[in-house]
Amino acid sequence: MSDFLHFSEHTLQEVALVFMTCVYVIRIVWFLRFAAGKERQGQTGSGATSPTKGFIYSWANVAMPWAMESTRTKRSLYVQFVLFHLGVTTAIGLSFVIPYAPGLLENRVLVLVLQIVIGLAFLVGVRRFIRRVSDPYMRAISSPDDYFSLVLLTAWFLFAVLAVPNNSAGGEWHLLTYFWLTAFFLVYVPFSKISHYLYYPFTRYYFGRSMGYRGVYPIRRVHKAKTS
Amino acid sequence: MKKSTAEDSRSHKAQVVVDRLGEKLNRQIVGSLVACVHCGLCTDSCHYVLSNPGDPTYAPAYKADRIRKIFKRHYDWTGRVFPWLVGAETIMTDEELEELKDIAFGKCTNCRRCSLNCPMGVDFATVNRMTRGLLVSVGIMPEGVATVSKDQWEIGNQMGVLKEDYLETLEWMEEELQDELDDPSARIPVDKRDCAVVYSINPREAKYDPRTIGDAAKIFHAAGEDWTMPSDGWDMTNFGLFSGDDELGGAVARHLFDRVQELGGKKLVISECGHGYRSTRCEAPNWAKYDVPFEMESSVETMLRYVKEGRIKLDKTRNSEPVTFHDSCNLARSCGMTEEPRELLNLVCTDFREMYPNREENYCCTGGGGAMSMSEYTPRRLKSGKIKAEQLKATGAKVVVTSCHNCVDGLTDVIRHYELDMKVTQLVNLVAEALVIEKPARAPAVAEELPLAGRRIVVADDEPDQLLYLATVMEDYGATVYQAATGDEALELARKEKPDLVTLDLSMPGRPVTEIFELLRSDSELEGLKICLITGRPEMRELIYQRMEIPPDGYLDKPLSEDDLLRGVRKVLELSHQEG
Ligand code: SF4
Ligand code: SF4
Repeated sequence: MSDFLHFSEHTLQEVALVFMTCVYVIRIVWFLRFAAGKERQGQTGSGATSPTKGFIYSWANVAMPWAMESTRTKRSLYVQFVLFHLGVTTAIGLSFVIPYAPGLLENRVLVLVLQIVIGLAFLVGVRRFIRRVSDPYMRAISSPDDYFSLVLLTAWFLFAVLAVPNNSAGGEWHLLTYFWLTAFFLVYVPFSKISHYLYYPFTRYYFGRSMGYRGVYPIRRVHKAKTS
Repeated sequence: MKKSTAEDSRSHKAQVVVDRLGEKLNRQIVGSLVACVHCGLCTDSCHYVLSNPGDPTYAPAYKADRIRKIFKRHYDWTGRVFPWLVGAETIMTDEELEELKDIAFGKCTNCRRCSLNCPMGVDFATVNRMTRGLLVSVGIMPEGVATVSKDQWEIGNQMGVLKEDYLETLEWMEEELQDELDDPSARIPVDKRDCAVVYSINPREAKYDPRTIGDAAKIFHAAGEDWTMPSDGWDMTNFGLFSGDDELGGAVARHLFDRVQELGGKKLVISECGHGYRSTRCEAPNWAKYDVPFEMESSVETMLRYVKEGRIKLDKTRNSEPVTFHDSCNLARSCGMTEEPRELLNLVCTDFREMYPNREENYCCTGGGGAMSMSEYTPRRLKSGKIKAEQLKATGAKVVVTSCHNCVDGLTDVIRHYELDMKVTQLVNLVAEALVIEKPARAPAVAEELPLAGRRIVVADDEPDQLLYLATVMEDYGATVYQAATGDEALELARKEKPDLVTLDLSMPGRPVTEIFELLRSDSELEGLKICLITGRPEMRELIYQRMEIPPDGYLDKPLSEDDLLRGVRKVLELSHQEG
């Protein structure tokens, strides 16, 4: 391994991680500086709903594609969402496995599984990009960040697939590209829409709590049951 | 010389909007503004999108971005550092504010359907209401919004109904009611003090639909309710919900709440109105910073309670046309009231058919968010009603029932525009139609003394405190009471003592109360025995009502005040009717 690759796998990643953490902390502090709105009125709804049940339901929503009409009726988008986020998690994990536990990648089955998971995420990235540029509704709501973040992640997946075997016999370019993209990704994330997961627990908590307080969450699945 | 900046050329109104946006931001709003990932999942949940294919300017995320870009430019530092990257943009001119008005008022009814379909928890409807409030604060709003807000500020109700007209309408409805029932004691009491119920209405009822007031009065009378209507502060609607003006919202609510307090009312009953219920019950205490010391309920809950307590009797065969139900967005998506109207509908009509989708997934009637008062957007509103019209038509119903006055108007317009063979009505009208009014009978001698004198009652409850309380109250009012701690004991006592009434707690240990109830009902020696259920778990009522061929004679919810208990028991024993 060249010194440059060693630097890219270690020092570069560490600096990028520290930077990302700092910006994240700033972001969260900034967000929490806004006072949370409070509910003064009495609770509505039946005993089956409550603020606590509401936010738990709201958090669990991500794993309940049947809960919202939008995910219930667009199953392929939900599957894409799952694959894409699995790919992100795996590709991030890979940036730790290669420098700190490379022995794991001697297992050919594991290498194949990781390549399939990240490869599927790459395909979803391509599909998402096509949807974003070809669907007029998606174009209308897309900012440069939406396109750039998607291209960045999709390219990163591609190089992550190549980097999984951790084999530099034929050259280091794919590993170097993967690690430099990872570092760029870590630095860029706090400024982009990719940081949405930082807000996700908060937005779903507050929305779920409010909906629970108002007797809406958890939603009872009775839509198909005739009441008479 | 000072360099001129973009800020210098911004119009005064635009500058005020930018500044006030900062004051309106709370954590929930900021969350909704920063968390959108532009995934587009909410797009198809909006009835405007579905009825206007090919026009992405109706997409919820597109509409949200019109205010989001200003937020990002001025309050989110990523937008300040890299505005071009995240689509941050400021607002400079009054024309741009007019464009924002067109979106906030003319392309969204704040129905909250997209909010419930966003995986990120972005609540666009709340953001849109805030945007409306910002525009209203600089005088940019549809003319109708300005007129209605002015009426509510100045006259105290949003339709500018004058006090004398309102009182005349009440008198007129009272006379009609007395004629219909041939009963001079059927009244619409005004400003009566210390009543159990203060009834508030939507001014639309006084102005265009007084029949709903008459119908409600008929129901209160039949239930023997101790009720009143205020001569002032009777409007439970609140245009602050639609205009986004929290100050108006707070002032209107305070007026109503203060009036109930002045009258010493125990409970405020809000007539069937989605936005009225939501604003009064669920939002106003926040706008008005008012800790409401009395109970509030929708008249839907009140009517259902009367049926369950046996205070009114209904003959559902009088409503035999096929009926469907339209959930008001405010009731279903912001107050969680979806089951009560259905429960009541099933008791009041013979052919109820669900509309799909329904409950919190129902589509807006098109008249929400104050849209009925914005005539400049009427063509757009009617066009966006296409999906609603298809939904209505698919039910095959002849009558669509809704518990909201805005929805009545919105649906009526859709039905007319799409030439559907349907009419719109409310639950209060169906209940009044089905009401069985028993003729006054002569009071028995026993009722001359104590209210329950001469009555023999078996009280069953497994909680000793509760049992003692119920027994003591009834004994104080003259009844002879036999106490039972289990259902089996109650059965045994009933067979031995042959009482007039058995009250059963629904959740006693041992044999299921449903079984005890059936045994009491089927015992030929106990013919004429009245049975009243009492429970602290209202959800268990359905169990009995669904299972039983002959339902109980009455139903009471714990906790029970002395007055409620006495009134409920007398009602079950039919003493209040007999005494007139
Ligand atoms: S569903 Fe939510 S995150 Fe997706 S575009 Fe709509 S508002 Fe944004
Ligand atoms: S709140 Fe309702 S009308 Fe407004 S954008 Fe969302 S779905 Fe459409």
